[in-house]
Amino acid sequence: TLFRSIELTGTEGRSTAVSPVMAVRRLLQLVRCWALNAEQLLFPPPAPVLAVQAPVGAPWVGGEMIDPYDTSNFLNNIFWMAAPKSRRTIEVNRCRRRNPNKLVKIKTNIDVCSMCGHLKQKHVLCGFCYEKVLKETVKIKEQIRLKEGGHFNVATVETAVLYDGEKPTERDEGKRIIERNRKRPSWFALN
Amino acid sequence: GVSGLGSHSCRCLLDFPMRLSLALLISHGRVARRMGLGPRSRLDMMRNLVTALVRHERIQTTRARADEMRFYAEQLINYGKKGDTDEKAMKMADFWLTEKDLIHKLFKLLAPRFASHQGGYTNMYQIPNRENLDRAKMAVIEYKGNPYPPLIVPKKDSEKTLLNQLLKGYREERERLRSAQVPERLPRSEEH
Repeated sequence: TLFRSIELTGTEGRSTAVSPVMAVRRLLQLVRCWALNAEQLLFPPPAPVLAVQAPVGAPWVGGEMIDPYDTSNFLNNIFWMAAPKSRRTIEVNRCRRRNPNKLVKIKTNIDVCSMCGHLKQKHVLCGFCYEKVLKETVKIKEQIRLKEGGHFNVATVETAVLYDGEKPTERDEGKRIIERNRKRPSWFALN
Repeated sequence: GVSGLGSHSCRCLLDFPMRLSLALLISHGRVARRMGLGPRSRLDMMRNLVTALVRHERIQTTRARADEMRFYAEQLINYGKKGDTDEKAMKMADFWLTEKDLIHKLFKLLAPRFASHQGGYTNMYQIPNRENLDRAKMAVIEYKGNPYPPLIVPKKDSEKTLLNQLLKGYREERERLRSAQVPERLPRSEEH
């Protein structure tokens, strides 16, 4: 409206040539128009305008914009939520549920332990054999604890474990001897 | 594409491949583990584990902790090899071993044991998952040359297995046939 008003006043049956007087007059009209319309331009303050045709009721109700995250107006604003359009058929459901990426993967890294025959994973120690070694280790540690007899008495020499009926050899000299009163197990060879 | 977040400097993207603010959330290519309550907590945890390993020479923990601790255990031996007169070595041993009798063990027992080794002082094996509800991946880590029974027993081939007995019989029979054939050849060569 601002520029149209200037055009109408400027081109009412005049020649196309613009003289300085005409330019000044147009400029004055522009300034006057701007001054008169200043209030209209700034009040109400510029607010975002919907570029899309939307129903009048939402999200503006009663002339004010409503915060869509305001939970008290939740029911008014569920227009904007995603919802399935149609029922998923059982065929489509089966395709999704039975897709190989959802099924349990087959492990090909399971082997039989050559010592005990239990199952083990290839990159993991056999559970049965490890339990066996762990129990014996715990018993040896118990003997060490009894020999040290207290805290902060850790030995500064090597340790040799001897079983029933074994005598220290020249390889064991200089080591502290830990004795276990049982027969030497087959999986704990001397050397 | 991602610079829509507004990189305020005018530097080219190629100078800093991952210096955008999303770099804090994405951890592509980062190899350092985060353990405990923070970096100091992780170091304290490693210190406890190293102390336990030096005391017991074989311990079992979770795989990540054993893997993380391995480096510190081996570096401690390297420092131990420098000898107890070395100032830095003593300070390191003092920090890393919380039980002070283990400092003696490190310098007098472990360092001479590995004097001829160049690295590779520890063995780490994976063991079946923990029996708890968490089913955590476990590992056992030990210093080589410990007095306990070995975790891996190398399988020696016995002569008494069926296959070896059959092969032995085949070898003996072939020898017998060869020694039987040799006297036949000699008269022919004499003729020529």
